[in-house]
Amino acid sequence: MSSEYIALASDRILVTGSNGFIGTRVVEILLGYGYRNIRCFVRPSSRLDRLEKVLSQFDAGKDVALVTGDLLSPTDCRKAAEGVSVIYHLAAGMEKSFAGAFMNSALATRNLMDAFLRFAKPKRFVNVSSFAVYSNLALKRGALLDENCPLEDAPQERFDAYGFGKLKQEELVKEYGEVHNLPYVILRPGYVFGPGKRELNGRVGTSAFGLFVQVSGTQSLPLTYVDNCAEAIVLAGFKAGIDSEILNVVDDELLTGQQFLKAYKDKTKSFISVRIPYVVGYTMSLLWEKYCQRSKNQLPPAFNRRRCSAEWKGNRYSNQKLKERLGWKPRVPMERAMEAFLSQFTSNGNDDPLKR
Amino acid sequence: MLKIAIVGCGKVADQHVAAIHRIPECEIVSVCDWEPLMAKQLGQRFGIAGCFSDLKEMLEAVSPDIVHITTPPRSHYSLAKQCLESGSHVYLEKPFTVTASETESLIQLAQRRGLKITAGHNYLFTLEMLEMRRLVEKGFLGGRPIHLESYWSYDLGDLRYASAFLGNRNHWVRQLPGQLFHNIISHGIGKLAEFLDDELTEIIATAHQSEQLRSLGAQEVLDELRVMIRDNRGTTAFFCFSTQIRGLNQLRVYGPSGSVTADIITGSLVRNKSRSYKSYLTYFVPPLKSAHEYFRNARVNVANFLTRRLYQDFGMKELIERFYNSVRTGSPLPIPYREIILTARIMDEIFVQIYPGRSEMPEIGHQESGQAATVAVSSVA
Repeated sequence: MSSEYIALASDRILVTGSNGFIGTRVVEILLGYGYRNIRCFVRPSSRLDRLEKVLSQFDAGKDVALVTGDLLSPTDCRKAAEGVSVIYHLAAGMEKSFAGAFMNSALATRNLMDAFLRFAKPKRFVNVSSFAVYSNLALKRGALLDENCPLEDAPQERFDAYGFGKLKQEELVKEYGEVHNLPYVILRPGYVFGPGKRELNGRVGTSAFGLFVQVSGTQSLPLTYVDNCAEAIVLAGFKAGIDSEILNVVDDELLTGQQFLKAYKDKTKSFISVRIPYVVGYTMSLLWEKYCQRSKNQLPPAFNRRRCSAEWKGNRYSNQKLKERLGWKPRVPMERAMEAFLSQFTSNGNDDPLKR
Repeated sequence: MLKIAIVGCGKVADQHVAAIHRIPECEIVSVCDWEPLMAKQLGQRFGIAGCFSDLKEMLEAVSPDIVHITTPPRSHYSLAKQCLESGSHVYLEKPFTVTASETESLIQLAQRRGLKITAGHNYLFTLEMLEMRRLVEKGFLGGRPIHLESYWSYDLGDLRYASAFLGNRNHWVRQLPGQLFHNIISHGIGKLAEFLDDELTEIIATAHQSEQLRSLGAQEVLDELRVMIRDNRGTTAFFCFSTQIRGLNQLRVYGPSGSVTADIITGSLVRNKSRSYKSYLTYFVPPLKSAHEYFRNARVNVANFLTRRLYQDFGMKELIERFYNSVRTGSPLPIPYREIILTARIMDEIFVQIYPGRSEMPEIGHQESGQAATVAVSSVA
């Protein structure tokens, strides 16, 4: 292990959400780095086939402990956190309701941090957040969106329960850092893609009334290939001297929405997609938003200016801080990442991006 | 101005807040949850200043006129009792309580205290259900109902909810006597209770586990339920709860000369008058009349949309508003106590039949369809 690392090979490491899309890759990379003392926390109802497949590829895989539980239970959090030095917290609430998202993101994190501080010797708490916490409403098109960008101050108006949960989660992590001296790092990945995730992200386009609508298409996507993202997460747990840092995770050689969709459509079933200019999308979002207000939410505010801006306005993204602070560089270049992503699709017409 | 408080700041609380905001002359003054952060997040999002984690403290500090209880069912009885004893009226989410004896006890307490309580059976007040009730009262059926059918489908496809309780024996849904059914069927049973007499002569319940649920685990949880009910006047009712039938949430009421079907999913109220036609007209006229009926429903729904009445929680807003009006003016309650008690009694009997002793539950889970408990009982009234 490098002297720049705070964790020893013998340190016990906890990964929550370890059977998820990113979590399994994090476990794989940890094993690849030679860490054997890994504890994977999973929900009782989780399917473990993906994780078990990863574990079977390493001799040390048999030493990995699987702990089942619910992070909303302080008892289960103790089971998870007892004796660990580093926590990679990837488990997240994917609830559509704001209360559900808050519970499964913020409350669960609070419970885990409490257990970490009480029953372990914390070296690092890596909180995996999201780009969804940013608001680019005040940024011009094409402006740089980096770690200094303002955070969303009205997630309810944006109709984004997931983003709300992540914002509240970050608030708690920062508070625990200040009040309880929790050594933490927050990572904010952009659009994480790769084999194992077939559906298209809302930043590429959205399904509306049975059509796939792409707004703008010229905007750069904050892409990060799952292996590259997992590498950044793993490094954030070990690297010395980065406590309380917040780091965006995006790859090099980013594609535009149009480029991404074209590659996707070339490989999968040809479906009808409509591309509209950003100004039209913004105007329609504005009208939808106003109608929702006037009708007291007869229609949910699924389209609104905040969302339109966040997903389709088009900003530049930087991974400079990530590279500088972690010494990270993408394991997989974009071209190979796209090949790997698209290789999961057959051309038998069974892939429908509208079924999300 | 009525002072409103909400106890339990989970997912359902959001719906209550949205519905209450549509009602004039009332204000949500406080929210309460045993987890302070949950109370805080709800309060912050909706600008509610009073956030509490102790019910007693909240009741003393705020003295709300009405308390909405939106917590898991096992806490309903004790929380509602506490609110009634402190002088607040109560809107209690479904299922009203865990057992019928608790239901009766709460209602008696409310009556003794001169207070009001209602159950969150909001699907009784959707637009199509209101229209159905109007037609039945007007005599459209040509007499009292002879047969009722209530269908309630529940999509396990959305595993966000199901996986939470399927994978966790300690989940509050799993702790209920009727498990998955217990948390949901009061909506469908409550609709039957409206038209059934208190004296029931027969309830036959049968349940099994679907292949889909079996593949997801939790072998002791049943998810397919069928119930036959007969009252002492001879009115019969059929209730079907299914996770395998998609998109079927209906109440059908049959009378001597007419029937109505209220479809919750499409917001339709389909009328059907029994009438004979000469010769081949039997094959032409009734289908055309049905087509006209569905067209009429589409027209009504468009009109409701344009007048901004076609929103998702109309039923909840309507029930809450009627309850508030009853509290304000002393007018009858939107759901008579008789119906709330009958619903609870029917549910008790169903769960006794399909889960005869929780220790035997795994065996029930493996029974084949049609071989599950089918015990006829005498009156449960």
